[in-house]
Amino acid sequence: MTELRELVLSSELEDRRGLLQARGLSVPTGQGLMLGAFEGDRLVGTGSLIGSVIQGVAVEPELEGEGVAVSLISSLISRAVSLGMGHLFLFTKPSEERSFCHMGFSPVASVEGASLLEWGRPGIEDFRSGLRAIAPGRPCGAVVVNCNPFTLGHRWLIERASQGAEEVFVMVVEEDRSVFPFADRFRLVKEGVADLSNVTVIPSGPYVISSATFPTYFTKGGEASSVHASLDLTIFATKIAPPLGVVRRFVGSEPICPLTGIYNRIMKETLPPLGIEVVELQRIESGEHVVSASLVRDLLSRGEMGQVRELVPDVTWAYLVERAKKIKE
Amino acid sequence: MDVKTSVAGTLESSDVMVSYSPSDSDLEIVVESIVVKQRGRLIRSVLEEITSNRGVSKGVLTVQDRGALECTLRARVETALDRAGLTL
Repeated sequence: MTELRELVLSSELEDRRGLLQARGLSVPTGQGLMLGAFEGDRLVGTGSLIGSVIQGVAVEPELEGEGVAVSLISSLISRAVSLGMGHLFLFTKPSEERSFCHMGFSPVASVEGASLLEWGRPGIEDFRSGLRAIAPGRPCGAVVVNCNPFTLGHRWLIERASQGAEEVFVMVVEEDRSVFPFADRFRLVKEGVADLSNVTVIPSGPYVISSATFPTYFTKGGEASSVHASLDLTIFATKIAPPLGVVRRFVGSEPICPLTGIYNRIMKETLPPLGIEVVELQRIESGEHVVSASLVRDLLSRGEMGQVRELVPDVTWAYLVERAKKIKE
Repeated sequence: MDVKTSVAGTLESSDVMVSYSPSDSDLEIVVESIVVKQRGRLIRSVLEEITSNRGVSKGVLTVQDRGALECTLRARVETALDRAGLTL
């Protein structure tokens, strides 16, 4: 009889690591619920819920098909729902995809090394219906930005995109794991490009650079980065771009951040064969620096407001001044 | 009372997992069963009976059946709807 319980002891976590590695799975990073299935004192299966993503599900080979995975998944779903989540993602290896489909999960996308599945509603098809409803019915361009915060570099990129396509969607990363909250980032972009009549600013939703499609974007690094980048871009090309009518994606060149550099490289490899043209635009510079949000954050943390002023549009400047006042208070 | 996502039951053999998600669209019933040929119709009629008794007309009701008895199915559906806040 297997018994399920939460893993808390460091010796248990060590066993979990061993079990995952023996099955060729990476150990999930981040805080969450880690469940173990035990036979007596021996850990024979594990599964984790981190945010709304189930991952790190593994069972001892000799117990496969004995229902251990099924009880782990049942328990993780029940707990997630009792925490108020109605929609869950699940990360696994492509070879395991089928067995999770039998547990009620549906595939979102699969690349070499990773598959993303989902459970519950609203799901990817609901999201796609929403995109179809706002599609202008002409070929469009798209820009995906975090804008943490919105800089003159972003403004320039979006302006160039608006000249390079009839209609442009700017998708602002919705995941709230950045220094500046999504609501503020979204408002600044929206106000900052309001004069560009063919530009529509929308939230990126759970399927574009989210903690499900690209978890290492938010943890900055990890060996799995390129697999995640490839998964995120495959979802973009196969699920997000078609209902919107997006045929061209604009991106700023990335001379500094290695992670974004990898993402851009994989974008140029992945999107064109799937019918999306990639237009990489040389980023603008101010003095000897490339204008970037990370530079702005760095200057802010050092109190160099004068230099910040040269890198951000008026709308962001007003916001940052207001924010600094509030922090002082 | 607010209507929320709920779940009852498990995916284990001879059980059934029933989940309900609120939405503004007409009630959608999704049935998956390991014995769908033999039992699909029965499961659907049980769901239609219980939801119509309760006047549930919106949302998504999903059933993942692993060969549960009809009484188990009924109990799980009633519980899931109770937990969702869709009481009689």
